Amino acid sequence: MAIITKQKTPDRPAPLSETSVVGWLQKNLFSSVFNTALTLITIFIIYLTLSGVVVWGYLDATFVAEKRRECYDNSLTGACWAGVIAWLDNIFYGRYPREEIWRIDFGGLLLVAWMLPLWLSKVKGKILIGASVIVFYPFLAGYMFTGGDKGWFMQFMVTGAITAFVINMTNMLVGLLKNTSLDVFLMQLSGQADAGDKTQRNILLAMVATLFVAAFLWQASWNVTEVVWTKWGGLFLTLVIAGIGIASSMPLGIFLALGRRSKLPVVRVLSTGFIEIFRSVPLITVLFMATTMFPLFMPEGFVLNKLVQVIIAVILFNACYMAEIVRAGLQAIPKGQFEGAHTIGLGYWGTMGLIIMPQALKHMIPNIVGNIIGLLKDTTLVSIIGLFDILGMLRSISKDVPWVGLHKEPLIFGAMLFFIICFSMSKYSRHLEVKLSAGDKH
Amino acid sequence: MSDQSEPQKRPKEKFDFFQDQRVRSVFYQVMTAGLVGWLLLYLVNNTTENLQSRGMATGFDFMDISAGFSVDFKMIDYVAGIGTYTDIFIIGALNTLLISFFAIILSTIIGFFVGVLRLSDNWLVSKVALAYVEIFRNVPLLIQVVFWYIGVFSLLPAVKKTVDLSFGAERLLLNNRGLYMAWPVPGDLFWVTILAFVIAAVGAFIYSRRAHKLQDSSGEQTNVWLPSLAAIIILPLIAFFATGMPLEWDIPVLEGFNFVGGASVAPPFLALLVALSIYHAAHIAESVRAGILSVNRGQSDAAMGIGLKPSKVMSLVIIPQAMPAIVPPLISNWMNTVKNSSLAIAIGYPDIVSLFMQTSLNQVGHAVEIVGMTMIFYMLISLIISVILNIYNKRVQLVER
Repeated sequence: MAIITKQKTPDRPAPLSETSVVGWLQKNLFSSVFNTALTLITIFIIYLTLSGVVVWGYLDATFVAEKRRECYDNSLTGACWAGVIAWLDNIFYGRYPREEIWRIDFGGLLLVAWMLPLWLSKVKGKILIGASVIVFYPFLAGYMFTGGDKGWFMQFMVTGAITAFVINMTNMLVGLLKNTSLDVFLMQLSGQADAGDKTQRNILLAMVATLFVAAFLWQASWNVTEVVWTKWGGLFLTLVIAGIGIASSMPLGIFLALGRRSKLPVVRVLSTGFIEIFRSVPLITVLFMATTMFPLFMPEGFVLNKLVQVIIAVILFNACYMAEIVRAGLQAIPKGQFEGAHTIGLGYWGTMGLIIMPQALKHMIPNIVGNIIGLLKDTTLVSIIGLFDILGMLRSISKDVPWVGLHKEPLIFGAMLFFIICFSMSKYSRHLEVKLSAGDKH
Repeated sequence: MSDQSEPQKRPKEKFDFFQDQRVRSVFYQVMTAGLVGWLLLYLVNNTTENLQSRGMATGFDFMDISAGFSVDFKMIDYVAGIGTYTDIFIIGALNTLLISFFAIILSTIIGFFVGVLRLSDNWLVSKVALAYVEIFRNVPLLIQVVFWYIGVFSLLPAVKKTVDLSFGAERLLLNNRGLYMAWPVPGDLFWVTILAFVIAAVGAFIYSRRAHKLQDSSGEQTNVWLPSLAAIIILPLIAFFATGMPLEWDIPVLEGFNFVGGASVAPPFLALLVALSIYHAAHIAESVRAGILSVNRGQSDAAMGIGLKPSKVMSLVIIPQAMPAIVPPLISNWMNTVKNSSLAIAIGYPDIVSLFMQTSLNQVGHAVEIVGMTMIFYMLISLIISVILNIYNKRVQLVER
């Protein structure tokens, strides 16, 4: 009997349970009597929930109405989305002057445009782009949102931001079209590609300086009117608080984490104490502390406005959580990396900045995104101490005369909004995690 | 850089003050301590100056002043105008602990349940559990709390149309004023029943220890659960009936516009309890799932290979190994539950933050003392919880070797 044949045995078809719909159903939903019963009960529950939600939220709902009574006239069992729709601007922008709303949209678009190159694989110099967002964007956006008279510092920072933005955008275009970075392209363009490093650097510096001066002259010619912070509100305010909170707590958290792992006892004890105190109390107590105790901490006559108090509280609170995330990331780095860095003669900051942090950051990404989501959700707490963030706005709909008593619909709308934002962020972080760890697989 | 011609002269001989590690370490520490000390001193100075210029008193004298406001949910005797701020602090602290306690129990039960459902073979069931987790994790807890309060528990039927949840027995009543329960009032001889229960429980514990030892030494398995359960139920029951059923029910009755008698909890309590339980259950479910998944698949394969039943595989092999991965996040979730119970302030449940940190602070000032006391209260709780966690971790490590 010849067992060995020269022909390859043809592949057998995959079992039916893997390929056909019926097979899949049988395997995953109806594999046993118990499972069948479970499936049927679940389908029934889903049907009840979904039909209730659809009837209330869509079929019987009122989308166009002038006041709540009209919603009732239309249907008693449906949602009254008209109130939410009428308040949409308030929900997103608070009481920001309506003719100035473009500034908020512009600020948002600017951020998207600024960060866009980070997602394009052809564009070079991503670290610089990321750094420029952190260093310059807050000032430009801050000026767009507050407006008023630019002081000399603001003029300088706004000019810097405009310069950085223009360079960033040209770099992106060059990257997309020519597949090189901007400086190389400029050198080729000016025919100095073979010139020495110094000449090249001087030419670039001159170009940047020219651009800076041009931007300075241009920005001096316009102003936007001032909008006081009390008019800020809605999702805009939530994002501002959370954004500043995240951006500032990151560096502070890194320092606290390094302090907690430091070999110097005084530094370690202070950092640990600070972190543990703020991590063991709820955010609302920290916010109360900010609004009741910060005024006492300040020298006489110096008044912090409530928004600044809240932002400081959020930064202090969040930095401690960030510190623990950074610490966990640092702990994941094997000791050999520290020793290797010392061996090649790097000092403390060199080791941390060049060797440890870049590796640790990769481990931290999921936790950092989790922290961002958590902070975004926690920011709703500022409505308790009287800021009109998105939740504050949603809750004031029920106090508006035409919509008196409209509680449920705004809250559900807010919940949906947060769900979309937070869920997509966590999905994206999971994707990023897989993408970044691809190199680790052996 | 190093002097290469005389390599042996380099180390130790030359004491470079600025490059010496000990000098640097001392210098940095003194600098840090000085900076922090200066900052603290500055803040304290400013605070005392501000307090003086505003004519505000300091110290803890206010704790003995009688508080003029009434509290509608309290576990100790307190009358507005007579009770002091110390009473207010205790009421708030107890209320925080009460809501946290029930929320922790409920969220842990729901969380384990959903976490196991997430791993179900049934595709639909696992997806429903996933939807539950994702929806409730990604919506701010505050929105959920407010929604349960305004959107659900405030819209319950009025007192006249009270819903009877005990099917006509009038023992469990729900309306927009809250949940009314019949409350047991133990009679004189009720202690006998409790004693019987304790004896049965201790007996069951000793019995299970014996059974374990027997199994360890001889491999013989005894059924522990059934006899223990029987003893724990039957012994107290016998004692209860033998002493003539010394237990009466305080039943809520409608008097005027409201129910009187029994025990009751107000809508804010119910709303906060439901919101906290559901929100934290979603988080616990995820850590339960991750914990079970962290057990190597080979473990369950091997357990089935030696012929264990699926239920035994779970209880003897998977769960004991998953627990070290589940418990730390579980306990930190409990801590978060305690902290998040402070959201009570949004719906008027009198917990420590809303009662002490808001109402009392508005009444008597003393911001520094009140904020400090509240924070220390939370710190103490988290200290206790982290001590428990550390003890657990040590025990687990010993077992694991």
